[in-house]
Amino acid sequence: MIRYHPDARFLTDYAAGSLPTSQALCVATHLHYCASCRVKIRDLTELGAELFSRQPAAAVEGAEFDRLMQRIDSQPAAAEGSATIRPINVVSILPRAVHKLTNGNLNELHWRRIGRNVRLSRLNVGDRQRETSLLFIKAGGSVPEHKHKGDEITVILRGSFSDREDKYAVGDFIVRTRRETHRPVASQDQDCLCLTTLDEPIEMSNWLLRLGLSVINRFSWPQAQHQAY
Amino acid sequence: MNPSRNRTMEFDVDQLDGAGASDVRSGHWVDCLSRVAIQRDRTAFREVFDHFAPMVKSFAYKVPSLEQPDQFAEDLLQETMLKVWTKAASFDPKLASPSTWIFTIARNMRIDLLRKQARHVVNMVSMHAEDEDGEVDLEDIWFEDENSDVFNVLAQQRSRRQIHDSLKTLPPEQAYVLEKVYMEDKSHSEVAAELSLPLGTVKSRVRLALSKLKLIVDR
Repeated sequence: MIRYHPDARFLTDYAAGSLPTSQALCVATHLHYCASCRVKIRDLTELGAELFSRQPAAAVEGAEFDRLMQRIDSQPAAAEGSATIRPINVVSILPRAVHKLTNGNLNELHWRRIGRNVRLSRLNVGDRQRETSLLFIKAGGSVPEHKHKGDEITVILRGSFSDREDKYAVGDFIVRTRRETHRPVASQDQDCLCLTTLDEPIEMSNWLLRLGLSVINRFSWPQAQHQAY
Repeated sequence: MNPSRNRTMEFDVDQLDGAGASDVRSGHWVDCLSRVAIQRDRTAFREVFDHFAPMVKSFAYKVPSLEQPDQFAEDLLQETMLKVWTKAASFDPKLASPSTWIFTIARNMRIDLLRKQARHVVNMVSMHAEDEDGEVDLEDIWFEDENSDVFNVLAQQRSRRQIHDSLKTLPPEQAYVLEKVYMEDKSHSEVAAELSLPLGTVKSRVRLALSKLKLIVDR
C-alpha cells in the first residue's frame, strides 16, 4: 500500500504545470500507482481551468485565425482520424514516462556501479537544474550513507527499501530535504528499482561523485568517474 | 468521437446555477468540438477559436519577463489551437470539460515553448548543441488520465461549481498566490523567492486556499 504521497505543494505545482520537468516526472510516476492522487490532480486541474477561464480577454485578430487555417490546409491530411484509434496497451511494469525514457528495456541502459550492490543510470529529461536517475539496489544491498545539497525525491518502481525512518514500497513518493542523511537498504527478498531526482546545479560536485569518493577506498571503481559529468 | 455516447446525460453542466459563463455553455462546446472532430466543421472551429483564443493569449502574456511577449502569445495561440483542431477526435467529454481540456493543452504547449526557448538560450551561450534535449514527451509526464467512470464526471462538475463559488471568497493573499502558481508559471519556491516569503508561508497559503475550495486535504 502506498503511504507516502506528494504533498499539496507538489500536486498543485504539477497540475499548474510549474513543477520542473524532472520533479513532474516523479509526480507522474507516483500517479501511475496512486488513484487517490489522480483524483486530486483532476480537481486541481479544474481549478486551473477555472482560473484560465476567468482571465481578462486578450485581443485576438481575425488574421490569426486565417493564419491558423492556412497552416492546417498546408498540412498533410495523413493523420486524420488516427487520433481515435488507440493501440492496445503495451504491457509494461513501468509507468508510461519511464517506459518511454528507457524504451522499456532496462538492460540497454548505461548503468554505473556504485559499490557492489548499487547501479545507477542517468535519465535525460531536459532539466539542467537536476539529476534524474534510475537507481537499482540489489536485494539486501544498501546505498552508501549520503547527505544532499539539494532536495531529493525518490519513487519506488519495484521492491522496497527502508531507512532509519521507515520502510517504503512501490509507488511511495519519498522526499528528503537537504541536510537529511539517509542510507536506504533494499529489502532482503527482492531487488529494488527507484526513480530519483536530485536538486542540484550541474556545475556543483554531484551526488554520484561524492558517493563515488565515499566508497572508492572499499570497492573497485570502474572508469566511470570521468564519464558524462 | 463515439457517436453513441450520451452527451446530454453526462454533460448537464448547463443545469448548474451560478456556474461561470464558459461553463454554462459547456454542452455547446462539446457539440462544437465533436463537429470539428467528425465533420472537420470550420464554422464550429471558428466558434471555439473565438471563445478560447483570448484566454490562451492572456495565459501566454502572464509569463513574466518574456523577451518577445507578442511573438510568444501568438506562437502559443497557434500551437494550442492547431492541437485543438488535430486532436479534437481524442477529446472525450467523459474525461474533461471543454475548457479543462483546452486549458491542459495550453498549459502543456506553454511548458513546451518555454522549454524550447530556454534550450535555445543555453545553446547560444554554450555555442554547441547539447544532448540535453530530453527524449521525454511532455504528454507522457502531463498525461490525460484515461481511467474514467460516470461518477468522476459528476464529481468533476461538483468540484468545478465549488471552485467557482468559493474563489471569490478567498482572502486576497491566497488568491494572489494561486494566480502566480497557475497563471504565471511559478512553482511554490519561485513564488516564495519573488515575494521574499519563506516557502512554508507560500505552502500554507495555497493549502488554506485549497481547503476553502474543498479541493484537497493533506494527509
